[in-house]
Amino acid sequence: MSQAVVAVNAGVLLPILAPAIGAAVVLVVDIAAQRLRRTHYMIALVSLVVGAVGTFAGLGMVAGDARQTLCLPGGGQCMYAADAVASALQLAALLAAGVTLLLSWPDDKKQSSGGTAVIVSLVLAATAGATAVAGARDLGSWLVALELATLPTVALVALRGARSAISGAIALLTTALVSFGLLALAAALWFTATGSGFLTPAAALTAIDDPTRRPILVLAVALVVAGIGFKLSLVPFHAWTPEAYDGAPLPIAAFLAGVSKIAALAALLIVIRAIAPLGAPALISIAIVAAASMTLGNIMALRQNGVVRLLAWSTVAQAGWVVMPLATVTSGAVFASGAYLLAYVLATLLVFAVVAALVQTRGAARARDLSGYHALVHDHPVLAAALGLALLSLAGLPPGVLGLVAKVTALRPVVAGELWWLAVIAAVNAVLGVAVYLRWLRVVMATAEPDTDVTASVAAPALSAHPATLVAVGLAAVALVVTSMNPQLILGLLGS
Amino acid sequence: MILLLAALAIPALTGTALILTGRDSVRSSEANANLVSLVASVATAALVVATVITRPKVDYQWLPSLGVRWQFSVDGISAPLLILTAALGIAVVVHARSYPPHGGSATTFYGCLQLVEFGALATFLSRDAVVFFLSFEVVLIPMWVLISRFGDSHDLPARADASGRFVLYTVLGSTLMLVGILALVHSAGTANLDALAAARGAGLGRSTQMVIAALLLVGLGIKIPLWPFHTWLPPAHTIAPTAGSVLLAAILLKMGTYGIVRLVIAPLPIGFGALAPVFAAAGVIGILWGGLACLVENDLKRLIAYSSVAHMGFVVLGLSSGTTVGLQAALFANIAHGVVSALLFFLVGGLKERWGSADLATARAALREVSPRLGLALVVGFAASLGLPGLVGFWGEFLAMYSAWSPAADRPEGFMRVLAVLAVTGTAVAAGYSLRVLRLIWSGDRTSPTHVDAHGGEWSVLAVLVSAVLVLGVAPGIVLNTTSKDVSVITSEVSR
Repeated sequence: MSQAVVAVNAGVLLPILAPAIGAAVVLVVDIAAQRLRRTHYMIALVSLVVGAVGTFAGLGMVAGDARQTLCLPGGGQCMYAADAVASALQLAALLAAGVTLLLSWPDDKKQSSGGTAVIVSLVLAATAGATAVAGARDLGSWLVALELATLPTVALVALRGARSAISGAIALLTTALVSFGLLALAAALWFTATGSGFLTPAAALTAIDDPTRRPILVLAVALVVAGIGFKLSLVPFHAWTPEAYDGAPLPIAAFLAGVSKIAALAALLIVIRAIAPLGAPALISIAIVAAASMTLGNIMALRQNGVVRLLAWSTVAQAGWVVMPLATVTSGAVFASGAYLLAYVLATLLVFAVVAALVQTRGAARARDLSGYHALVHDHPVLAAALGLALLSLAGLPPGVLGLVAKVTALRPVVAGELWWLAVIAAVNAVLGVAVYLRWLRVVMATAEPDTDVTASVAAPALSAHPATLVAVGLAAVALVVTSMNPQLILGLLGS
Repeated sequence: MILLLAALAIPALTGTALILTGRDSVRSSEANANLVSLVASVATAALVVATVITRPKVDYQWLPSLGVRWQFSVDGISAPLLILTAALGIAVVVHARSYPPHGGSATTFYGCLQLVEFGALATFLSRDAVVFFLSFEVVLIPMWVLISRFGDSHDLPARADASGRFVLYTVLGSTLMLVGILALVHSAGTANLDALAAARGAGLGRSTQMVIAALLLVGLGIKIPLWPFHTWLPPAHTIAPTAGSVLLAAILLKMGTYGIVRLVIAPLPIGFGALAPVFAAAGVIGILWGGLACLVENDLKRLIAYSSVAHMGFVVLGLSSGTTVGLQAALFANIAHGVVSALLFFLVGGLKERWGSADLATARAALREVSPRLGLALVVGFAASLGLPGLVGFWGEFLAMYSAWSPAADRPEGFMRVLAVLAVTGTAVAAGYSLRVLRLIWSGDRTSPTHVDAHGGEWSVLAVLVSAVLVLGVAPGIVLNTTSKDVSVITSEVSR
């Protein structure tokens, strides 16, 4: 009897395999039949839905449980293990990718350059990377999956070919390379310190007690925080974010704000869980980075007049909130961080979907500038309501109850860990955040027509938004309304 | 139980429905919106009265991941505030029949009024500390809309400033309060307010209690507003429409003092005892500061706002004394200020509509001569405001000063007596500014430019409030007997 080296359970890997296979199928179909643009999108959506269904079994599992596969023989360690938090992040990544595809759905009227297969397969590949990194438990898979989630986004940003897109892509590429270098170094140090290729608490424990290996492990963790900091847009690793968001096509910016952030946090959570025994000193860097991110992000967002740049800086600020709970070693930290990320991704995707719909109806120049939102509530009351709900959820004020509950969840571990200074900085930033989003909402709700816009609205022909975009707005809005009424629907995904 | 849930559901659903359905400011839709609101407010008030009588308890699981439950019930401390909220909920709608909102669609206006009422009722009813916080936040956005869209449109930058200041200050306060609540819940192990009150801080060290109490006092102090955090209140009152001013002064400010009773005095007796002298001193500075500002203020709405700061200072003084009498006085002064400030803001709102401004320096027709009903209401309102015996304003302030003169055993008696003396000086200042206003606009023999007297909805609202001032002034036992039992439970250990 020959025994397999590792046992593979394809069902457990479905969240990764489905988008990966989807990407391959799209490319094959493109070779076979070249004019089928919409078919690519249909294939992609199906593969994302199949992947999403594949995550269901892992959602809401009790702490300590995980769906494992790729295990070493003889009951050895597993290279893939998705617990409740990882499954929830996978689900969010797959759904966020679906929204991105809906936003970039091809338009019949415009004859584009036939790059849809490339776009779709890149989106699917990056999504597969995001779902893979959430479950990766060994250094190799973790590093490769994280890069798989990053590199396709560089191409996606650059594909538009405009000058701003290229500069955005270069910013992103440079960041990706530096980040990869830091993470590869971190992986090497981890291996040096622990002698293990696995990112598990057991591996970390062997190094913690040894005074010569402990500093190496701490250095490895610091490099991980820096490397992931680039991907999560944490200050001081955030500088690429406004460039890349503003240069990228809108759906790709939504992808960067959604799927890419999920991948980055998933990668960070794996390391954080592994080093929990290391204790608080290693995590003080996260506290400082979190405080700096939310403060700088909010202050810069207050000064932006372009909505995509505003959203980019808002991402920086929200990333600070996402990692803030991880600054403590309390048990609820990973749960809180995941919960905050899911709430942020849902609200941000809705904002991007509304902006995309307005780009289609009012033109890019108007929809990408804050002043173009003047009195939106009169022209497009439904879109304005969706936008208002999403902005209030980001600000953390009712009726955006989901965002408020996320803030409560994120603050809990900080208070339990008695990091009073961080809690007070967070409170001040809650105020700054409200100022950022209400500044936008105030424009949306304004009543009088400004003189300058009269000519523009007369000149612009009345366009209608693409049905796929409206579907994306509708799905995200319904999801946000339902989860605001019952936030447990989101919290429950992450397990108890 | 159904009664209580319906009392919350009716304003919430009516408010949401009104905001979502209304978009244009058609004349007929305004009458409909008023009628719908009136029916909803009356139904809510009936249900609130039934709830107060039957005292049901509601307890549902809501967010098991965070241990948050829908726990609602009524006791003697919240009952008078619930009745006040429900009654004023009707009054603002009736009063708005005489003064239709301008600046936006009527349905939005009435919808926001309903949502503010919902948030206030939920705050006073909730028995879960986190739900208390969430309810606290519900009122923010509707109130922001009321000020920023329906407020005085003479000076648009000032209006934007006032509404923004209101939201940002309050969010800072409530987020600090959230940090305090989470710390309290984490260290006490329960989020149930009754359980927290019953535990009396058992198991919490003095320093822990002081940190948590300080966070909560600053957070709730901004809402009260306590000197030196009061600077958001005068602009908000000056700009807000009449209904907004009434709800803000009569109900929203009470949420701060109510929160201090529930979250600080009852569960953290030692921490509050240590901070009480500082808290009381800030209250007394508020009494003098507000009173002195009133002596020179020429905008009538701003003047009443400053007098609110002074009156809330008496509430703070009573709360700080640590005695049953002091707490009773504070709760009574809460209600008294609710009735008097509602009366004065209704009155001044009507005068501002008639005069076109609320400037005291402009020569007007004497109210005594041209509008005896308005004149009567003004005299009663300011007489109550200066604390004339026999009117509602007397009991709370008199008892608060008495309790400061003979405070609980663990309070510094000499210091509290100094504060009591200063507070007495404050009542003299109050007499000064009240008589100044009466001299300027009530007395005299000018009869031009004439204006119509109050009639219809406006007069019925004023008449009811004038009667409430008289009835509660003659028979304060109505409120004091309701609160006494629950107050003595809270103070039983501290009082002599």
